[in-house]
Amino acid sequence: MHDSDPREPSSRGYLFLQILVLGLFCLILLRLWHLQILEGREYADKAQQNLLRERSIYPLRGLLRDRDGEILAGNQPAYALGLVREDCSDVPAALSRISDWTDLSSQELEKRYDQRKDQVKPFQPLILISSLSFAQLATIESQLMNWPGLQIITRPQRHYPEAPVFSHVLGYVAQANKQELLDNPDLHPGETVGKQGLEKVLDRTLRGHKGRKLLEVDAQGRVLKERIVTSPEPGETIRLTIDADLQRHIWREMGEQSGAVVVMRPNSGDVLALVSKPGYNGNAFVEGISEQKWQKLLSNPRDPLRNRAVQSAYPPGSVFKLVVSSAALKRDTLPLDEEFHCPGYYRLGNRVFHCWKEGGHGDVALREAIKQSCDVYFYKLGEKLGIDAISEYARSYGFQQETGIPLPEEHKGLIPSREWKEHHIGRSWQKGETLNTAIGQGYTLTTPIQIARYVAALVNGGHLLQPKLLRRSEPEQLKRLPLSGDELNFLLQSMRATVEEPHGTAWRLRRKDAIVGGKTGTAQVIKLKEEYQDKETSAIPYKFRDHAWMASYGIRGREKFIVVALIEHGGHGSSAAGPVVNSIYEHLFS
Amino acid sequence: MPFLDRKALTHFNWTLFLLLMLLAAVGIFNLYSASSLRLDQGVTTTYFYQKQIFWIAIGLATIPVMIFFDYRHLKALVWPLYGVTLGLLGYVLLFGTSISGASRWIDLGPISFQPTELAKVSVILLCAALLARMPGPVGWRGLSKVLLLVALPVGCILLQPDLGSGLNILMLAGGMLLFKGLNRRILVTCLIGIPVIAPIAWFFLLDYQKERILTFLNPQQEPLGAGYNAIQSKIAIGSGQIWGKGFLEGTQSQLRFLPAKHTDFVFSVFGEEWGFMGCALLLGLFCLFLYQLVVVAGTSKDSFGAYITCGVFFYFFWQILINMGMVLGLMPIVGIPLPFFSYGGSSTLINFILLGLVFNISMRRYVFTRE
Repeated sequence: MHDSDPREPSSRGYLFLQILVLGLFCLILLRLWHLQILEGREYADKAQQNLLRERSIYPLRGLLRDRDGEILAGNQPAYALGLVREDCSDVPAALSRISDWTDLSSQELEKRYDQRKDQVKPFQPLILISSLSFAQLATIESQLMNWPGLQIITRPQRHYPEAPVFSHVLGYVAQANKQELLDNPDLHPGETVGKQGLEKVLDRTLRGHKGRKLLEVDAQGRVLKERIVTSPEPGETIRLTIDADLQRHIWREMGEQSGAVVVMRPNSGDVLALVSKPGYNGNAFVEGISEQKWQKLLSNPRDPLRNRAVQSAYPPGSVFKLVVSSAALKRDTLPLDEEFHCPGYYRLGNRVFHCWKEGGHGDVALREAIKQSCDVYFYKLGEKLGIDAISEYARSYGFQQETGIPLPEEHKGLIPSREWKEHHIGRSWQKGETLNTAIGQGYTLTTPIQIARYVAALVNGGHLLQPKLLRRSEPEQLKRLPLSGDELNFLLQSMRATVEEPHGTAWRLRRKDAIVGGKTGTAQVIKLKEEYQDKETSAIPYKFRDHAWMASYGIRGREKFIVVALIEHGGHGSSAAGPVVNSIYEHLFS
Repeated sequence: MPFLDRKALTHFNWTLFLLLMLLAAVGIFNLYSASSLRLDQGVTTTYFYQKQIFWIAIGLATIPVMIFFDYRHLKALVWPLYGVTLGLLGYVLLFGTSISGASRWIDLGPISFQPTELAKVSVILLCAALLARMPGPVGWRGLSKVLLLVALPVGCILLQPDLGSGLNILMLAGGMLLFKGLNRRILVTCLIGIPVIAPIAWFFLLDYQKERILTFLNPQQEPLGAGYNAIQSKIAIGSGQIWGKGFLEGTQSQLRFLPAKHTDFVFSVFGEEWGFMGCALLLGLFCLFLYQLVVVAGTSKDSFGAYITCGVFFYFFWQILINMGMVLGLMPIVGIPLPFFSYGGSSTLINFILLGLVFNISMRRYVFTRE
């Protein structure tokens, strides 16, 4: 039959092909027999009743502890209500029944269902309610058998034992929104994610890794058997530098006032307390805050969601005179002992700038001017230095830049300059504004944490540190202040004199058992209207009252602390912030 | 010489044609079952089986064209066709339309075209021409020549990346070489060499390809991840037991447990609904079909025809073996369809074109004309 070459292709080749066909037939037939006949029953059972489902095992979120180990953010079990669409024959009926069990309206439940249904994988529960009360749990548990597709999911939930006190350090977790789900592929709808504070910054570390288990479920979705595939890995526990007792003490001492207090160790940068009032209840977010409560928080004029120590900046008032003084020391603008005469006012062109003390301070040199917070002295000093030198030095001391404290949305503050004013306000710098800047009024804005860091640098020999909240991290020095030991010492001694000597404005901090130095400040909220001038603080409406500052250090032996307080609308620095700071030293040194 | 004489037409291989039509018909019924359930879920708006019927009709229409000329004229076209194939594969790599991460398509307005399919035809023809000219068992020179020429298009296809088609072509060329017979020394070297080279090849696989092989080795490890397909496929087929659950009665596909059930895993739907008896019959049908190709190769008038038929044989053989093997959990999951069963326009069309060639060769088996 073959033409030219009968041996080509060889008959062995055809035999080879035939063997292949026979081999294929036998192999596949054997396998079919194995699967369908030998193990067929088993597979049929699996197919009809035992369907495999995957579920997450939620890890415990890493604990946040204070420096002594006290738990500031822990976990407690919570019960969520989920719905598996594939097992639920009548979703609207199920939703309206859930509405009967809880205080949620059918519309609200339908809204949640519509929002989340596309994000849930097949056969995964769609979380409708993330935290059920025990009463609801009891009701639902007893009815669950009649509603295939509904299930109770137990998972650990964040709990803040003393929510408002630590709220601005810890932040809070809440259900992840759409964007967060996109950014974190391992997050599923209904799961929580850190939204503020350390919870946000440390989210990856705290979150841990979910485990997975396999459920064998019947046609109604009832679980028959479960097997753990991977165990969850809990998030890391993190020790903070915060001293919980101190924080609580400050919280109590501040009473109903709004404001912020920072207590820091100058050498390590450890933040021992960071209080911002008012605070909020983080647990409300964890459980899913209602729209109404959320709006109430947002519209609260005291803005409880704002961390005033880090996210708010205020005019530093007379506290800024320390910064201006150190610029003067550096520039050799004037000999330390050169005196200016303060008659209670200062005339620049046809404008008159007043000193806070009517009648004036008389002849004062720099040390005395800091101690008595003489405005006129600093008007003259500011005029001599000029705005360029002031803003250059202020920036080199870490102002108008983030301190790097591990908290979100830190405010940079503002140090005005000629360029800044031209760019942002569109007008050229006025000499009078230099005078205002020199006493910390006007455009200048600083955060309490910046002031604390600055005073810490004065005490620790000029090291500008990154404030530390996590215990295990190393102190990080950002830069050195351009000040010599003598110059630092002069500033510290002036602050000490402000506390200890007669006429010092921070006399309230005076104590026998420790060396304390301080500087008060009063930040004008608005230029006071004529009608309120010369009035007592209590006679002025709250929102027009000045902010009160107190920046201080306390040393006893090797123990050194920095305490900075800002009381919003507190009036004068000494009278409003002084008692709070004094009580903090009382706590620290007793 | 006339292109088509009446004598040749009377020798048309009706047995092969009958087997082909049977397979295509069963395939459509099965696809109806696999795709109609998708409609119930409202997942898709197209009847896959209708599209498949359309493609089979087009395929059938190509048969008269494919038998019209004497296949021996193709010898002259082997190299130009090979060149065009390489050109198109290169073009696709650079400018092709990407579908789910793989660039395989050339967009020609209303229709898109996969040069990979053309590569199957041209590699078969090229190998057939080369092997027909070589005397005796293939030696080192012959082997390296064939492998080099095959490696070029296969390399392009693997880069797309399309592991399934690349392997298919490489293996059909290998099958043709084995069919011709290899030098004894080469055989021994291959037996020793391949286990050594395999681990090296591992490094060139993409992550998802590695994952599939690992999953194959241990599917229980991740039952809802990559191993999900393998497990669900076995559950579907196994649960068919002896008689199957009946047409349109498969529960696994209904509950959308089965993935890709109208394409790569279409045999699981068949296995679930028709059971062991149905599967054995279908397997027998496939084997008869393959055997018929062996018969055509054995009776072909010249060695060129024999090698072409052998190439087509291996083209189908590997697909059937690998697809059924993967669906039954015997092999890793590679994107290789089951001929006449899996939904797919391009692959259906190419099946018919290749079989058209076989009909051409088969009907000219008695034509005694010397050139």
